[in-house]
Amino acid sequence: MTSLLPRRRADRVRWGLAILLLLLAAIVPPASQYLEAQGLIESARFQIVLGVTALILALWAISYNLMLGYAGMVSFAHAAYYGVGAYTVAILLQRYNISYYAALAIAPVAAAAVGIVTGFVALRAVRLYFSLLTLAISQLLYSIAEGWYGLTGGDNGINGITAPDRLTDYPTLYYFVFVIVGVSLLLMFILVRSPFGAALLAIRENRERARSVGLNVKAYELAVYTIAALFAGLAGALFPLVQSSVVPSMLFWTENATPVIVTLLGGVGSFLGPGLGAFIYTGLYNSLSRDFPYQLDVLLGAVVLGVVLVAPGGFASVPDLLAQLRRRIVGEGPVATEVETKGEAIQMIDVTRAVEAHAIQAEPVASGKVLLKVENVSKRFGGLRAVEAVNLEIHEGDRHAIIGPNGAGKSTLFNLITGRMRPSAGRIWFDGRDITGRPAHVIARAGIGRAFQITMIFPRLTVLQNLQYAMLAHRGRTVQPWGLADRIYRDEAMQLLDAVGLGPYADLPAGQLSHGDQRAIELAISLALGSRMILLDEPTAGMSAFETRKAMELVRRIATERNLTLLFCEHDMSVVFGTARTVTVMHQGRILTQGTPEEVRTDPEVQAVYLGELDVEDKEAAPA
Amino acid sequence: MDPGKFLLFATGGLADAAYLFIVAAGLSLVFGALRVINMAHGSLYMVAALVSVVVANKLGAGIGFFPALIAAVLVAAAIGAVIEVTVLKRVYGHEHLVQLLATYAIALIIGGAARLIFGPNYRTTTAPIQGSLTILGYSYSVYALVMIVAAAVIGVAMYGMLFRTRLGRNIRAAVSDPELLNASGVNVTLLYTTVFVIGAALAGLGGVIVAPSQAVDPTIGDSVLVLAFAISVIGGLGSIIGSGIGALMVGEVISFGLITPATNSFALAFVFIVMTLVLTVRPWGLFGRPET
Repeated sequence: MTSLLPRRRADRVRWGLAILLLLLAAIVPPASQYLEAQGLIESARFQIVLGVTALILALWAISYNLMLGYAGMVSFAHAAYYGVGAYTVAILLQRYNISYYAALAIAPVAAAAVGIVTGFVALRAVRLYFSLLTLAISQLLYSIAEGWYGLTGGDNGINGITAPDRLTDYPTLYYFVFVIVGVSLLLMFILVRSPFGAALLAIRENRERARSVGLNVKAYELAVYTIAALFAGLAGALFPLVQSSVVPSMLFWTENATPVIVTLLGGVGSFLGPGLGAFIYTGLYNSLSRDFPYQLDVLLGAVVLGVVLVAPGGFASVPDLLAQLRRRIVGEGPVATEVETKGEAIQMIDVTRAVEAHAIQAEPVASGKVLLKVENVSKRFGGLRAVEAVNLEIHEGDRHAIIGPNGAGKSTLFNLITGRMRPSAGRIWFDGRDITGRPAHVIARAGIGRAFQITMIFPRLTVLQNLQYAMLAHRGRTVQPWGLADRIYRDEAMQLLDAVGLGPYADLPAGQLSHGDQRAIELAISLALGSRMILLDEPTAGMSAFETRKAMELVRRIATERNLTLLFCEHDMSVVFGTARTVTVMHQGRILTQGTPEEVRTDPEVQAVYLGELDVEDKEAAPA
Repeated sequence: MDPGKFLLFATGGLADAAYLFIVAAGLSLVFGALRVINMAHGSLYMVAALVSVVVANKLGAGIGFFPALIAAVLVAAAIGAVIEVTVLKRVYGHEHLVQLLATYAIALIIGGAARLIFGPNYRTTTAPIQGSLTILGYSYSVYALVMIVAAAVIGVAMYGMLFRTRLGRNIRAAVSDPELLNASGVNVTLLYTTVFVIGAALAGLGGVIVAPSQAVDPTIGDSVLVLAFAISVIGGLGSIIGSGIGALMVGEVISFGLITPATNSFALAFVFIVMTLVLTVRPWGLFGRPET
């Protein structure tokens, strides 16, 4: 497709810029010395030290972006881990007379150790509350640095730290730091492109979805938090090479401004962007603090505000902006990535091919045995009994519908089965295994897939990545911190996409597809996991009649041919009676009756409940 | 510990809780209704404190305090209105990250501007009410006691505003059911501006009240902001009662943390330990509701 071309061009520009940046960073010492010899700058030494500062900042900011850009975590404690690294070196050098190189090796470990313990606490909460907890942790570490005179020298800090003799020559110092930072960046770069990195992106995009494809979200968040703390500690350990004193205010929460601003300037969406941001910031800060020492904060604030409101992509988005500009000048028509699809994908579903697709081959097994057993399960919210003493047996290979008026407890029951909620009482068995109250990702890995009532995809990942990353997660590959995630399961995922009609959109961000097509992705993810049982919560909500028919045909065929067990709830009765072999009716948290579609349809009690409730719904709906 | 000393530290904790409650209640109110964490809240506190000290000293220490109070709160409210209309309106409904960064940038700008206007050095003024009382052998400043009463009055007034007025009803609707509010014909744009201005005024009020009892410089907002976060997070963001309880806890922890030389360097550390403990048990705070 032609639409992919400019994307690649922007990618090439980005790679070119990255190599240029690395080359420029590599020649800082000789270039400074040359410029000094030519009389163009006053002091080469000063420029080289500035370069070292920028390198350290680049390492610090890129480690911050591991959390911010890749996992979507906003931490206010990153300066604290940088500070822990710097303090560790200072304390080891001054109090224990250990060599700088040994201290340099110990400091990141110390920062990671503090990181994993404090991170564990901070990750008790999510999103905003996580951010506020990191703020508290930052201030706690700051208070300790300021209060523990015996170890840290209190508010005086530790002074008179000297770099080892071999690093007193400025170019040597520069290249020493250059190599350490370079190796660290390489390691982080490998990490973010690996299956582990894919798990982070999935979590950033949609935590709930990530969990339902089998990711232990908190474990990955803690891992990336600790890795980020490790590299921040390393950056902090390099700090005493350019500054002879370490003070507690390095840990104060406002110090996080530096990595945040640098990351924003460079661009959260790109790996090396914050590195570029570090050089720009260092240069800018140096000249501004010389010429406008008092206006500095106002200017920095204005820059941040401008970036946040106007160009959230930072400098790294410049290649994209250039590509857009170029197309506007050349007149190639609208930018492809802004085009919305029209929902035709799902209409192109080729059911036969979909069924043959390798990715969705669940193990064929003899039907008849009980796969899921819900035993006397109840869920109460305060005084409200959402689900009350429900007993349910789902046989392998069955297509089982749960129907009932709004508030009957269907969604709550699904949440209990998939581990989103813990039952107040009762037990749930899957394939003979007790799964009561197990975490959602464990249940997902055990073989229960789920499609949600609302569309749950990874919006900023491509359609192909949506499937690939879900497969990686579900098959336990995301623990691997090397290798290229985008190359794994590519063909398998592509095959499935072609089959469900999404092939042409494989490289578009999933969030740009139409609602119907996003539902198709959602369905494809559920199918791609090869689960033995799939829970579908109103699978066709928001689809047109035609789309509904297509989607359900696909689901039905796959269920039949692969002996997949389906449990679904649905308001559209034609879908229910057209798909289900068994129907269970719920009312006010209890099971009213169960039987074949025909038995249920003619049951007078069901009719009473349904008609009564429908009346109420109609009355409620009427004035609005 | 003898009862006199205990009372002294308990009252000290109440005095801290008093101004912290006013600041935290503003932060919490804004978060509850607008779902925005205002990182510039401490800056409004700082600006109001500086303005009040400058104005009070110009008018004559002591008696000048009351006009200074009004002027400073108005300045904070006006800055709040400008922030809400020019920046916040553009980031409502965005990710928390965008809001955090945008208001953080505003904090940097206000902090820098305050340093340009007022200079980096600290300033002091005298309290409008002088004198002291002696209870059980320890001396208490009357102003600190008045501060405690004033905070209680403000707390009751806020409660009355929230539960007895039309504005309060709309604010509570914004907290619990924003969609309903949109459908009910309330001018939501104006309501949001009003709430933010009230929040800014409370930040300013807290700054003015505490100004006579401490040295004021352009950095005082940074540490107060963190304490206000701690309080509103402990109490539950969006809950005024939670802010009250949180402020009491934080105030007393700081005060009693100072009681022995062995612990006084760590008084602030205890606050964050308490906050961490509370959030570990109840991640959404004592009176808050889990965010969906």
